Amino acid sequence: MTLAPPRTDVAASILDGVKVYGAGDATVRALDGVTFEFPRGQFTAIMGPSGSGKSTMLHTLAGLDTLTSGRVEIGGVDLGSLNDRELTMLRRDNVGFVFQAFNLVPTLTARENIVLPLSIAGTKPDEQWLQQVVKTVGLADRLSHRPSELSGGQQQRVAAARALVSQPEIIFADEPSGNLDSRSGAELLGFMRRAVKGLGQTIVMVTHDPVAAGYADGVVFLADGRIVDGLDDPTPESVLERMKTLGG
Amino acid sequence: MLRTALKGVIAHKVRLGLTSLAIVLGVAFVAGTFVFTDTINARFTTLFDDVYAGIDASIRPEQPEFGSAPGTIQGSLPEALLEAVASTEGVQAAAGSVGGFAQIIDAAGEPVGGQGPPTIGGSWIDEPALSALRITDGNGRAPSGAGEVVIDVGTAEAEGFELGDDVRIQTALGTETFEVVGLANFGTESNLAGATMSIFTIDEAQRLFGLEDSFTSIDVVAADGVSAEELVERLTAVAPQDTEVVTGDQQTQEQLDGFTEGLGFLTTALLAFAGVAVLVGAYVIQNTFRIVVAQRTRELALLRAVGATARQVTTLVALEAAIVGFVSSAIGVVSGIGVAAGIKAAMNAGGFGVPDGPLTVEPRTIIAGMTVGMVVTMASALLPARKASRVPPVAAMTETQAPTSPRSLRKRTISGVAVTALGAALLVTGLTLENGATAAVVGAGSFTVFVGISILAPVFAIPIGRLLGRPLPGITGELARENTVRQPRRTASTAAALMIGIALVSFVSIFAASIRASVTDTLEQSFPADLAFSSTNFLEGVSPTVESELEGLEEIATVSAVRTDFIRIDGQELNVGIVAADVERMYDLRPTTEIAEIGEGMLIQRDVLAERGWTVGDVIDVEYPAVGLMPTTIVGTFEDQTFGNYIVGTEAHGDDFFGDAATIVFARLADGVSLDEGIEATQPVLAAFPNIDMNTKADQIAEAEAQVNQMVALFSGLLGLAVIIAVLGIANTLALSIVERTREIGLLRAVGMSRRQVRRMIRAEAVIVAIFGAILGVGVGIGLGWATVSSLADDGLSSFALPAGQLGLWLALAALAGVIAAAGPARKAAKMNVLSAISYE
Repeated sequence: MTLAPPRTDVAASILDGVKVYGAGDATVRALDGVTFEFPRGQFTAIMGPSGSGKSTMLHTLAGLDTLTSGRVEIGGVDLGSLNDRELTMLRRDNVGFVFQAFNLVPTLTARENIVLPLSIAGTKPDEQWLQQVVKTVGLADRLSHRPSELSGGQQQRVAAARALVSQPEIIFADEPSGNLDSRSGAELLGFMRRAVKGLGQTIVMVTHDPVAAGYADGVVFLADGRIVDGLDDPTPESVLERMKTLGG
Repeated sequence: MLRTALKGVIAHKVRLGLTSLAIVLGVAFVAGTFVFTDTINARFTTLFDDVYAGIDASIRPEQPEFGSAPGTIQGSLPEALLEAVASTEGVQAAAGSVGGFAQIIDAAGEPVGGQGPPTIGGSWIDEPALSALRITDGNGRAPSGAGEVVIDVGTAEAEGFELGDDVRIQTALGTETFEVVGLANFGTESNLAGATMSIFTIDEAQRLFGLEDSFTSIDVVAADGVSAEELVERLTAVAPQDTEVVTGDQQTQEQLDGFTEGLGFLTTALLAFAGVAVLVGAYVIQNTFRIVVAQRTRELALLRAVGATARQVTTLVALEAAIVGFVSSAIGVVSGIGVAAGIKAAMNAGGFGVPDGPLTVEPRTIIAGMTVGMVVTMASALLPARKASRVPPVAAMTETQAPTSPRSLRKRTISGVAVTALGAALLVTGLTLENGATAAVVGAGSFTVFVGISILAPVFAIPIGRLLGRPLPGITGELARENTVRQPRRTASTAAALMIGIALVSFVSIFAASIRASVTDTLEQSFPADLAFSSTNFLEGVSPTVESELEGLEEIATVSAVRTDFIRIDGQELNVGIVAADVERMYDLRPTTEIAEIGEGMLIQRDVLAERGWTVGDVIDVEYPAVGLMPTTIVGTFEDQTFGNYIVGTEAHGDDFFGDAATIVFARLADGVSLDEGIEATQPVLAAFPNIDMNTKADQIAEAEAQVNQMVALFSGLLGLAVIIAVLGIANTLALSIVERTREIGLLRAVGMSRRQVRRMIRAEAVIVAIFGAILGVGVGIGLGWATVSSLADDGLSSFALPAGQLGLWLALAALAGVIAAAGPARKAAKMNVLSAISYE
């Protein structure tokens, strides 16, 4: 099958997404009818208090988890129609990930970690693109180091470079700066923003930090599994303001 | 603390279950060996008690102290002695009997038995108190004339003989046909430990065994009120010189001693295999506990944080080991009873009849099995337990990850080299020792070498792991390679378990190949004869009748018989070859003096002569079985050791030994007779001796090879057990490593690695570890093999052979073992849920 997406201005979308965990009294509706379209070439932040369903939304969007009902598309492909193998290939070729921690394979060097999705696919990296990505994240002199020899911020930038290297349809980031000090966090988020503005990437980031959300083009607010609000061109102050009014 | 420990065991029950399998197997082997030997002893004690139950005393020819097969009476008594014995005061009944070699021929013309238990011929004794043979109603009657025989019920049933059937029986005279007139039980058993029994009338037995007018034994029942000791005293007064009087109990003991001696080798071998299994098990246990402790760092740290002392943490892990050790040892002991039943069944199938009856489980067996299992488990868990105690409380709060950077291996290299060198020194010392401690020292040396190489193994793990992983393609190959070297200690101790099994299997292959090469060399060089005749019967050689009949054939120019027996020098029992002068034209011993010239003297193998510090011309005291001590002159030396390191001439010394059956009879064909014509001509002679094998030189070589191959197959099979335990160890380590790397695997899956690629990665890792272990094993095996073969050069092992094909096969099998070991863990890793794997702590 081919996953070559039809080029629309929507990179990913969720339509009436419902996710129910557990059964009986313990039933939790983590997502309760969420509908949203993530525009291409935009940096979108998903915010909300603990248990609001923001991580679940990210996981189902990324094909790591399945919806109880509803529909998720990445680049126009309905994830519900894909089997495990096809989902794996979609993640490999069309999706990039940056997790909060434990992003890198400890036995591989930084460079090997960056090109990991390509290695898994058995393809060679586009050297020029790789150089550009490496330069953008500022890791040129750290490429032969192993994760244990890198600082936390450097590790996260390697993860971001990995997410970029296969030029995916969309990149999902789950609290990417959550474990970093504020300077490293700012570096990472600045880089992510440059990737969107300069390289035309699409990034969806879950965060609970208004400062982090301030780097995004738009913010979606979740509460109790529903989208309750949105904000364009946010600043940390406007995000914080909005969070207060939402009682978060 | 015990409650916490119990909960710890239950929480890790699958992992520890796999581990305990290693203990169970080892302990089962130990317990099985004891149960089996105890059972054999108990059953045969009962059996021989029955056999000699009615006999208070026996008179027999004085038996040589050495040289004869156990249970076979040498020499004879005059028939007239019976009357003197019967009229002795205190004798209620007395009967003379003769015994000898008689082998039943089955319907297909093949000899029955003879490869293990004896093929007994004897005479019928009418006095029921003096014979254990019983013919029950409907099973016919005792033999009453020439041409009649009674055989044991067991053999009759096994071979399908019935009353009234004609049966061919081979004796030293050739083969004759007898009518089966009776089927006898042996006491309450249908058969005596797989022995076949042919019982004739006394006259017939005397004729068949060449003992006209003689007995081999006179058995006596005491009158009421006369003790066995009194009876022996009185009989000794009437017994002529060169005879001895023994009680029934003594004979029971003699027979038992014979059995015990024969089983001693088996017991030692089984215990050695058990030891190997336990040793390999120890590696697996140590590894499992080490990993389990590493995985529980946070839990142990939490215990420390809430106030447990370091000592309590050690105690906790030790207690867990004790629980695992106790449970698995108990299962092992019970399984050991099954193992014993299995060995018994295998021996019964192999023709060695173990009498029916319950298995004997002595308290000693239970104690030994439990002790071995507990001690090994606890000792193996000791290091991991100490490591657990060093977990700082703060570790409870910090993020843990599988460590990647190995600590310095320098200390390890030094101690590893030292221990290996010590082991090698022990080994070499053991192999060159002259006395009985050899096996123990060699065993300790091999063990120490194994330990030394295991200490060194982590040093090799990184370079060898990288090298082995190089040819593996793609990112899965690279990840597998890096995973094997990220924790060299773990990789090494996993591989070390496999190393032991593979080392021993390789050693056996090399040893066998060297024997094969040496035997082939020897036979190629030393065997100018055209034909060789030997007996398939373990306890009986080639009858002199064969020799004389062959001599009578015009197609055959020369016949020469070689006998082998024992002599004693300085109290040490030694193999001796007794050869005729014309052996030189048959078999080249490469002597310095012609055999015809040695007269009453003796030839001694060149190297043995040098070692003993004798020189040609010395006169030494030699003890011969039939005549005792005689000064014998060393007249020369020789090289070939096929018939032992000492050679005397048949003409001068033939009568100094008992028995006249030959070990091997050589024949050269007359000029102008082709090999086929020669073989054809010997057929009528051989027709009367179905248990004689005729071999050409090619046959002889092929047969030697077949024997060696059989040995290899047997040992490899038993050592396969050790390999299986090691494979369990690999599977166990891998499964635990995968748990440790859950997040990493989740990450790989998230960024697009397929399930199939995950499986491939795990499999590749297992294969690298397995081949690493096998390479170490083959290396150590070659070392052990070389040391052993070169130290046995004096004993006829002249060539060191390296069976490359076979060693390659072991490597390939190890790789396959890796694939098998990886199957479970790989499937488990591939099945991981990506999301929960990523968020796994």
